[in-house]
Amino acid sequence: MPSLLEVTGLARHYGGRPALLGVDLTLERGGVLGLLGPNGAGKTTCLQLLSGNLAPSAGRVRICGIDLVRCPIKAKRHLGYLPERPPLYPEMRVDEYLELCARLHRVPSGQVAAAVRRVKSRCALEDVGQRLLAKVSRGYRQRLGLAQAIIHEPDLVILDEPTEGLDPEQIREVRLLIRELAAHCGVILSSHILPEVQAVCTQVLILRNGRPVHQGPLVPQQELHRSGTFRVRLDRPPPAQQLLRLPAVATALAGEDGSLRINLAPGLPPSALARALVEGGWGLRELTPERTDLERIYFETLGLELRGPEAAVAEGGVP
Amino acid sequence: MILTLARREWRAGLLTPLGWVMLAGSQAILAWTFLQTLERYTGLEASKRVVGLTLELSLNLWGLAAALTLLSAPLLAARMFAGERHEGSASLLGAAPISLAELVLGKYLGLAGLLTLVCLLPPLMALTVAGAAELDPGLLAAATLGLWLATLMFAAVGLFASTLSAQPGVALVAAYAILILFSVVGEAKKVLEPATSLFDWLSWNEHLLWFLVGAVRLSDLAYYLLFSTLFLALTHRRLANRRLA
Repeated sequence: MPSLLEVTGLARHYGGRPALLGVDLTLERGGVLGLLGPNGAGKTTCLQLLSGNLAPSAGRVRICGIDLVRCPIKAKRHLGYLPERPPLYPEMRVDEYLELCARLHRVPSGQVAAAVRRVKSRCALEDVGQRLLAKVSRGYRQRLGLAQAIIHEPDLVILDEPTEGLDPEQIREVRLLIRELAAHCGVILSSHILPEVQAVCTQVLILRNGRPVHQGPLVPQQELHRSGTFRVRLDRPPPAQQLLRLPAVATALAGEDGSLRINLAPGLPPSALARALVEGGWGLRELTPERTDLERIYFETLGLELRGPEAAVAEGGVP
Repeated sequence: MILTLARREWRAGLLTPLGWVMLAGSQAILAWTFLQTLERYTGLEASKRVVGLTLELSLNLWGLAAALTLLSAPLLAARMFAGERHEGSASLLGAAPISLAELVLGKYLGLAGLLTLVCLLPPLMALTVAGAAELDPGLLAAATLGLWLATLMFAAVGLFASTLSAQPGVALVAAYAILILFSVVGEAKKVLEPATSLFDWLSWNEHLLWFLVGAVRLSDLAYYLLFSTLFLALTHRRLANRRLA
């Protein structure tokens, strides 16, 4: 049984300049790959190559074992793609547009109406069927982009910044949809929003200047909460040795700003740490989860100094 | 798939004002010329008439319709590839399981369908005097065929130019440049000595003239089909290269 997606030595040059070099990755059904990197890192080029919109200068892309360059039509039947800008025709109505997308993705004629109904329900588009695409809001445009990418129930869904321009509620809905999709297909998404990638992805690929600089699985968010790092402020901080004797504390380091970095002992919930600190009578003022695993990996990989969250916002646009 | 794409282009042409403005403008100009031709013809004394009404209409009305489709084809074609790239909808077609040949033929068919409406305006107008005057249906059929073939060639040129840029304006200028070159190339014989028939042969209007006088020649049919196919092949090549470039 071939992998859902196999990419080997993928490269793309513009003129003589390499935009992407040496990307190797494998994705199985149920996997969600997050593609990260600063602006201009090659994320969109990578997704355009994987979606068949661009031809690679070198390397091979196989979708369900089918070579995307040699047999593009067969391979693209398994593919759904939401580009950075949702590909809409402003003069069409929502229903007409989705019907066209179904036909373009070779949904059999008898099943087009059912496919349109199903995808409208999944993407919460039931109320706008007769609306002109030129008149729909940014959120609906993004949902329509998602709808066209999944209308034919592809095995691999490629999403370029799927939550761009959405409000928090819509972002939550898209996350749920991605999780739902991942139950029976593979998803690749690019995003600037690290918590979003952390929330939905099972693996991550970080690009910098067109080259992969980190690739690997992601620790699920729930586990991060159980074994994460916390920033602690106390009115009367005790010596480090005394803190280390607490069962909830694995390691404790004094920070430059007077706070403490405490690593929670594996298997214990954050509430155990909070309880121990209160019972110690040191005047607990602050107990904040530190950066997630992904944020740490991202900033370390890109060689950016790990400071406070405000600094990160200024540097990388990460909220 | 080709029909799905053609239908979309056809509908897009008729749902946006551009298609209707083009049709209405063409009809107004052609109707004016039609009435002028009739008036000039009926106002002359019989002895001064050099040619019949059918030929008068064919040369004036059908000839003008060819000039109108020459202007309209690039306008409609510019939004097909250049416009889609500009709007960002090209990636929908790029990721769909569609071959480039299907894509080119689908768009071409849709464009040809829209322009065929303009080609039908002169024969429909001629029908209005069919009961009052003796017209030569064979000559008008030949003129309509010539007009339609020339229009198909303009559409192919427009489609090719549309692949040259992501800016519809640039595509439009490129299409007009190619079509004007094909229009004036026949004039080269006036400045080049000795006169060569190659320039005559390259000029689309020289071939159309034979259709307008009622002569359907294989060489003229071959010219239009050859150049339409050539520009469609170039469109295909250009799209394939763009994925690689």
